[in-house]
Amino acid sequence: MANETRIMESPWDLTTYSWKVEADALNLFVKGLKDKKILGRKCTKCGTVYVPGTSYCRKCLIDIDQVVEVRPEGTLDAFTVNVSDIRGNPVEHPFITCTVKFDGSESLVMGTLEGWQDWHDVREGMRIKVVFKDVTTGALADLAYFQLI
Amino acid sequence: MKRNVAIISVGYNGRFVSKRPDVNIPELIEPAVTNALGKTKLKPDDIQAYVVGNMHTFEGVNGPHLWASDHFNGSGKPVMRVATGGTTGASVFQAAYYHVASGMYDVVMAIGWEKQDEGDSQVGLVGIVLPEAFTLFQFGPEMNTERGGVGGLGGGGSTGGASYQAMSYLSRAHAGIEHIDRIAALMRSNAAKNPYAHLQQPGCTEADIAKTPIITYPLRFGHTCPTSCGAVAMILVSESKAKKFGLTDRVAWVKGLGSGTSDPTTGNFVEGQITDPAEQHMCKVVAKKVYTMAGIKDPTKEIQVAEVYSGFSHQDLMWPERLGLVKEGKSPEMLDKGAFAIGGEMPINPSGGVTSTNAIGASAMVRVSEAALQVMGLAEGGHQIPMKVENAVAHGWGGLFQFVTVTLVGRTPVKS
Repeated sequence: MANETRIMESPWDLTTYSWKVEADALNLFVKGLKDKKILGRKCTKCGTVYVPGTSYCRKCLIDIDQVVEVRPEGTLDAFTVNVSDIRGNPVEHPFITCTVKFDGSESLVMGTLEGWQDWHDVREGMRIKVVFKDVTTGALADLAYFQLI
Repeated sequence: MKRNVAIISVGYNGRFVSKRPDVNIPELIEPAVTNALGKTKLKPDDIQAYVVGNMHTFEGVNGPHLWASDHFNGSGKPVMRVATGGTTGASVFQAAYYHVASGMYDVVMAIGWEKQDEGDSQVGLVGIVLPEAFTLFQFGPEMNTERGGVGGLGGGGSTGGASYQAMSYLSRAHAGIEHIDRIAALMRSNAAKNPYAHLQQPGCTEADIAKTPIITYPLRFGHTCPTSCGAVAMILVSESKAKKFGLTDRVAWVKGLGSGTSDPTTGNFVEGQITDPAEQHMCKVVAKKVYTMAGIKDPTKEIQVAEVYSGFSHQDLMWPERLGLVKEGKSPEMLDKGAFAIGGEMPINPSGGVTSTNAIGASAMVRVSEAALQVMGLAEGGHQIPMKVENAVAHGWGGLFQFVTVTLVGRTPVKS
């Protein structure tokens, strides 16, 4: 007699988990966005500026609390051209998401890139500026997009 | 004082494929174990300890070794499970090495596997970043997925994350998407010469790859790894046991190994990411350390072949540079002159690599097992490189782009 085997399927409910995550850096960041400012933190030991501003220095491993404002301009680091949405459906107009480095800061911030005609002409190292929403509410979405200068 | 360790046998469960509904995890592993033992005169009872591992949560089973142990004769012996994400296989191997090098055991088996048809790998991946993603959601990010926003940042799953690294690499190396197409085609045609590889495409060309749709530029469907089911088992023994077994001829000696971590990159928004994902500084640091350990002065001349862990094809160009096998930014040029092919001067992934076969928990160990087979001269089906292999390097990669392992195997042990 052949051995009986069965296939078992079941859903996995991820909403039953709860985590403690440090939200300090984002709190500071969105507080700044409400006033159309880019806020971060600076390490008093090595001078590294983090945006969003972490509560500790990655390099020196010490607590940092010096809040600094950086100009809403910087350079384009890496980027990708999105031709589909999160479900894999093609989008009508491809869009670029990117990481940028604000002047004087060492950390990378992700967002959408605007101000280009043909994405083949977009290059790393191009200059960008932040475009805020007209009405800011203190949310990440206040940072509407990065505009090529 | 550490002891020399030899790899005396490698076993696969068979050809890696996308679906194996006919077996469960222990049944998937068992043929790999039997094959590894079958190539030696060892009996199952000769194995003193096991180090095993697979990716966490991908199959939705948290401790598969708990019910797989007695199927590989682990009952009554030490069994250690190691799970370190993408580098799992390499970490398993390195832990098995430490078992022997430390003098604790003389004969140890390392097993790595993944059975991806049992779960949803992307859900498993999401589990890694879920706390951060949920935090981000609480701060009101742009939700319009049509125009960037959260959908754009997360679009394409792991491919989306890797595309930033790909773009950054292309910019640094002054290369184009055609180079990624070309290396992807080389990997798939190499895979056709490896009887255990998953995606075997004999004579695959750049044009074949270029036909596949873009997921997020510059990465196409043809540049991404498959999700595979498969298992690999390796037997590691001490130098004295190798001599006792009369096994000093066709073995691969572990000459150097190491691992390293930088800060998590790509999308690490909450913590302020400071490292470009194409930088991979730790890969350079670890490689240098490993070569020193192995007594290698010029890796470009003294290493004949490399097996690198590349979930996405641009990495097959990036890692050889970071491992010091090729000058920085020169991989596209080396590829174009045929240096990376099986008969070239620095063959990369004669096995077809991870973009052809990716059973996650096995993948980083398969890099070591394939490097070992190249040293032993036992790579089957035409993927043995024609050059005599004195040294081969195996590389593993994982985490949020920041974990790296490097293992160097060779024909002669390091004098202790």
